[in-house]
Amino acid sequence: MRPNVVFLSLASDFGCQVQITNFPELLEMLGTFDLSYWQLATSAHMPSEYDIAVIEGACTTQEHVELLEKVRARAQVVIIVGACACTGGIPSLALNGDLEEGLHLVYGEAAEKVAWGHIPPRPIDAVIDVDFKVLGCPVNPDEFSSILQRALLGLVDNVHRETMCSSCKINENSCFYAQGKVCLGLVTAAGCESFCINRGRACTGCRGIAADANMKAAREFAAKYALEQEFLNGLEIYNSHAKGLVHDDSFC
Amino acid sequence: MTTLSVNHVARIEGHGDITVDVDEGVIKRITMDIVEPARIFESMVVGRTFDEAPLITSRICGICSANHAVTSILATENAFGIEVSERTKKLRELLVYGSYLQNHGTHLYILAAPDYVGLPSVFPLAETAPEIVKRALALKRLGNELCTLVGGRAVHPTTAVIGGFTSEPTRTELLSFGKRLEEAVRDAAATVELFGSFDIPRYETKSDMLSLVASDNYAIVEGEIHSLTHKWNRPVSDYRALMQEEVVSHSNSKHVMVDGKPFMTGAIARVNNSWDQLLPSARVVASKVGMRPVMKNPFYNNICQAIELVDAAERCAMLCYELADSNGSASPVEFKPRKAVGYGATEAPRGTLYHTLEYDRNGIVTAGDVITPTAQNLASLEADMRAFAPSILSLEHDEFILKIEQLVRAYDPCLSCAVH
Ligand code: SF4
Ligand code: SF4
Repeated sequence: MRPNVVFLSLASDFGCQVQITNFPELLEMLGTFDLSYWQLATSAHMPSEYDIAVIEGACTTQEHVELLEKVRARAQVVIIVGACACTGGIPSLALNGDLEEGLHLVYGEAAEKVAWGHIPPRPIDAVIDVDFKVLGCPVNPDEFSSILQRALLGLVDNVHRETMCSSCKINENSCFYAQGKVCLGLVTAAGCESFCINRGRACTGCRGIAADANMKAAREFAAKYALEQEFLNGLEIYNSHAKGLVHDDSFC
Repeated sequence: MTTLSVNHVARIEGHGDITVDVDEGVIKRITMDIVEPARIFESMVVGRTFDEAPLITSRICGICSANHAVTSILATENAFGIEVSERTKKLRELLVYGSYLQNHGTHLYILAAPDYVGLPSVFPLAETAPEIVKRALALKRLGNELCTLVGGRAVHPTTAVIGGFTSEPTRTELLSFGKRLEEAVRDAAATVELFGSFDIPRYETKSDMLSLVASDNYAIVEGEIHSLTHKWNRPVSDYRALMQEEVVSHSNSKHVMVDGKPFMTGAIARVNNSWDQLLPSARVVASKVGMRPVMKNPFYNNICQAIELVDAAERCAMLCYELADSNGSASPVEFKPRKAVGYGATEAPRGTLYHTLEYDRNGIVTAGDVITPTAQNLASLEADMRAFAPSILSLEHDEFILKIEQLVRAYDPCLSCAVH
């Protein structure tokens, strides 16, 4: 029997799903599994039985929490895709201000009417256990396909532990700090081949903080260039949720 | 009273429901409920630096991320008084058109076409009409690759920054893309013919149609706001005075009106408002299937998207050749932040997108505003649902719902944009 895959999405911009539809082999890979639910592409309804759940987006409502618990109880394998799902991503940026105030700023007096069940944004693994993470904003379609194949084959996740600086050096880029510009590659998880840096743009940290990151050394390095504050501010973009968990001395 | 409802309308971007209350054969209420959770972007940009604003707001939407990035960049350049090079302007146009090929290609074939041939999704079509699916994927891929060529990747461009681009395509790449784009004009024209051959419900909207216009170009990046009904032009900086946003209780998206009235934006508004600026080839194929202004049937939005595909493919080919054969640089120009307010607007695939950014003297955002195309379209969509529904009330339940969904999909709503 072919494994049954469902594709769900929580609070996100759908960008990772769009990236995945940009992956030409997907239609061919369809022969190796049944894609039984994907709201973006078909009007079929969510089935009650499935093996693998692929989930995009951050958890931002009570309804999301309930859905995630239900899915975890059903699915043998949970794959989360994209920065929103893996680190809380951009949706977690809302945590830097007062969430209520933010809602008021956008909706004014009517905030209560529209923001039903809103909870502070969080990554999916803060709610349920997950088996695979596909990092990035957006995900790289090739990386998604190789992780999906690992899942289909019953293998386990192969996590990148090292930081972006290692790929950046292999790609022979000159370091942004030498030009007086901040780059988050110092602590960001490798795996994208230093994609942005190769194109002249400093890393903004979309893959989250690497397991082997040395935050203290990174801060000291940035401080040497008088960019420590910029470095910490930059980290908030994709990693506000991590900051919320570790109070004041933020990321250390 | 019976309530007919559709939970999670499929084949649209984001989560939305439709509710219809019918009492003894009379429709009492019909709404498009946007249940997509708000991520409150306008509050998230406050306190961030100028270079972070486009990075953050491009995450409003994965389909038109190029538009959000460029619009935010334009707002900041407007605030700081930055003049960019001609080359930068042309590359931005290519980047935005990349999202047209991508979005229109996907929307027409994968999301909308199944409605017209009575199928739940594009997957069965892959077996019965493989050439159609192949054409769809080719157009979509060309759009992705165009965005990748200019922006570094298909979703969330990484090279587009305030003042210019951090890296540029080579001459060889531009020449080979020019050729591929020229070849795609044929696929695009076939798309117009295909959608022109479908049986399209008869219906006329009462909504006005708004889009950017320019005297010397099919306005995509910058321009003035034009009203089809009232014929006025207004500068982009007037958009906040012109448009009223209101919170409605059934939706996480605000509705937008002009003078208290709904209006449409998107391909149909652009084709109507900028008909004379379309390339002759696009006008010819359009006329062949009987399309010419003024078009008031919202279902024609799909055909207009196809007409734009023809125009975009040919125009982008010309842009590629021009860029390949001219010198100049798109490297970011120098600038200084200042305390100011800036406005930006582009035409996203689904309609006009507006951004405002207010800065303090250090270039830190003190306030932000975004009005997306779908938010502008929602009031008009609901008005059309209400006016169109009675004419199909005699249909079987499933058929009725399908037709309403078809109208929703004709508008090509993007719900993550709508709530943002
Ligand atoms: S800080 Fe950034 S630019 Fe410098 S070596 Fe690390 S990844 Fe490369
Ligand atoms: S270089 Fe940094 S920001 Fe760019 S894709 Fe890689 S992790 Fe993300």
